[in-house]
Amino acid sequence: MVVSVKDGIKLVGISIVCCCAVFVCTFMLNYYLDILPLESELSGEYMTQLYNAQLAMAKLTTIVTGGILAAIAVIMLFFYIKLYIDSHAQQLGIIKAFGYSRGKIASKFWVFGLSVFVGCALGFGGGWIAMRYIYDEMTIEGMGEIAIHFHTGLLFALVIIPTVVFVALSCLYAYFALQRPALQLLKGKFEKAKSKVGKEEKDRQFLWQMCLKTLSGKKSIVFFVAFSSFCFSAMVQMGLSMENLTSASMGYMILMIGLILAIVTMFMAVTTLINSNKKNVSLMKAFGYSMKERSLSILGGYVPFAFLGFGVGSAYQYGLLKIMVNIVFADVESMPEYNFDVPVFFLTLALFVVCYFALMTYYAFKLNRISVKEVMIEN
Amino acid sequence: MIKAQNVVKKYNSQEVLKGVSLDINDGEFVVILGASGSGKSTLLSLLSGLEKADSGLIECNGVRLDNLKDDELTKFRKEQVGFIFQQYFLLSHLNVDDNVKLGANLAANKDYGQIIEAVGLKDKMKSKPSQLSGGEQQRVCIARALAKNPKILFLDEPTGALDEKTGREVLDYIVNLQRQKGFTMVMVTHNANIADMAEKVVKMNSGEIVEVYNNDAQKSAYEIGW
Repeated sequence: MVVSVKDGIKLVGISIVCCCAVFVCTFMLNYYLDILPLESELSGEYMTQLYNAQLAMAKLTTIVTGGILAAIAVIMLFFYIKLYIDSHAQQLGIIKAFGYSRGKIASKFWVFGLSVFVGCALGFGGGWIAMRYIYDEMTIEGMGEIAIHFHTGLLFALVIIPTVVFVALSCLYAYFALQRPALQLLKGKFEKAKSKVGKEEKDRQFLWQMCLKTLSGKKSIVFFVAFSSFCFSAMVQMGLSMENLTSASMGYMILMIGLILAIVTMFMAVTTLINSNKKNVSLMKAFGYSMKERSLSILGGYVPFAFLGFGVGSAYQYGLLKIMVNIVFADVESMPEYNFDVPVFFLTLALFVVCYFALMTYYAFKLNRISVKEVMIEN
Repeated sequence: MIKAQNVVKKYNSQEVLKGVSLDINDGEFVVILGASGSGKSTLLSLLSGLEKADSGLIECNGVRLDNLKDDELTKFRKEQVGFIFQQYFLLSHLNVDDNVKLGANLAANKDYGQIIEAVGLKDKMKSKPSQLSGGEQQRVCIARALAKNPKILFLDEPTGALDEKTGREVLDYIVNLQRQKGFTMVMVTHNANIADMAEKVVKMNSGEIVEVYNNDAQKSAYEIGW
């Protein structure tokens, strides 16, 4: 019917988020399960402290990484499904008009769960490839090499169950999103809350109003821009400040995951933003608005949210590392004290400013290439 | 039989249909004629169960549509109704065969291939909508609607997007098919010439039926003006 397997697999954003989550969770949980039976081999208080701290760290990292990324994947999934229904409204409308039930149409949205399967399977495989290397990094002094065992339960918990849950969530969300009457879908009209236009708003300049309308039109994009900046800030700072706490390679891994998540999310958010504003931009171009005015009215409103995400990310990484050092590794005597790393913060901020505005400049040029003719042909 | 009594429909407090009453007999070909904004498409949406009236009675083949819940309306449309719209609403990623199958599946119709053949698209079964002309796309819509064996076929400006020659061909084909199969057909159009092809003509203006008359001698698609 209207949703094809191809539509389900091409949600690369969700696949990457799931891949990152499962990658971290695979080696952390496998490590946890492999060292759990070794308690009897512990000799001495220091070794026990280190052992307990490693167990706690594996658990905490799994909960924090897995939990946050799973929540993000759910939000992304809903965002994609909503977008899909909006952009295929007429096709879905004709199917509904013909008499296909809402449940029957929604059941075809199971394919969106495929992207989760692809991501989880890749993450699981990746976690296994990196396993030996990670185990070596996380050895407990005096315990020697920790043997790697395959735990079938993890395959279920990290690949099969998430796939089943996301398939069910896709169908369920589509079922509710398809509540709109067939005729409304056919006409491509969507109910929107009527906004009261006060005198004050009327007086605002057109570009400022356009900027606000773009922001309020797709609020989910605000979230994704802020989340992308959050990932960049939190994980780059965490990666760079972890050298003294664990190992440099562990820090680089976190940094890489953060950059991948930030880039994927920002790419998805801005691409969606541009695609949904093609008509407005082409008309503004035809009316004679400059490239700067056009890009500011579409992209400008997101700058405060990007910096807000960056700020929250800085606080989050500081809080998380402080908890790790002061609570999880509290009993480990050789653990160094952790304080907010000011030079790393400014270095990350500078990097963020350069990357963010370079990306926005690139997208401004991309916006500039949209022509009225192109939009007319598409319609 | 379709029966509408004192049907009212409002959009944002604006009355689009102002107490419309109408009877359509089984197997009849009815044209609802009116200018843009006259309420003809709204009436078609209500008669076909795509929308609910705000007040009044609508009965289709013994089923009171105004009392049905959304899922019951869906079942009604599945079992009784076929649609052809001005915009083809074909699924762009599916080929002709699969697009027609979309309608056939609802009626468990395995012989839908004959309908594709009958609309002259046997050689284009594997073509995507983008590879077809406007007339061919509309013929896919006809096949899709007929493949579900509808008791009533609703058409909303089916030739609106076609040139004169293709429009005549499509109309001629639909009308002949209706005569052969004997289903009820309700067509909305603003083209007064097309009304000459119908058995009954319902003229609408500003949300009201202003005239209903029967054509004693119906013209063919090639006899009407355009």
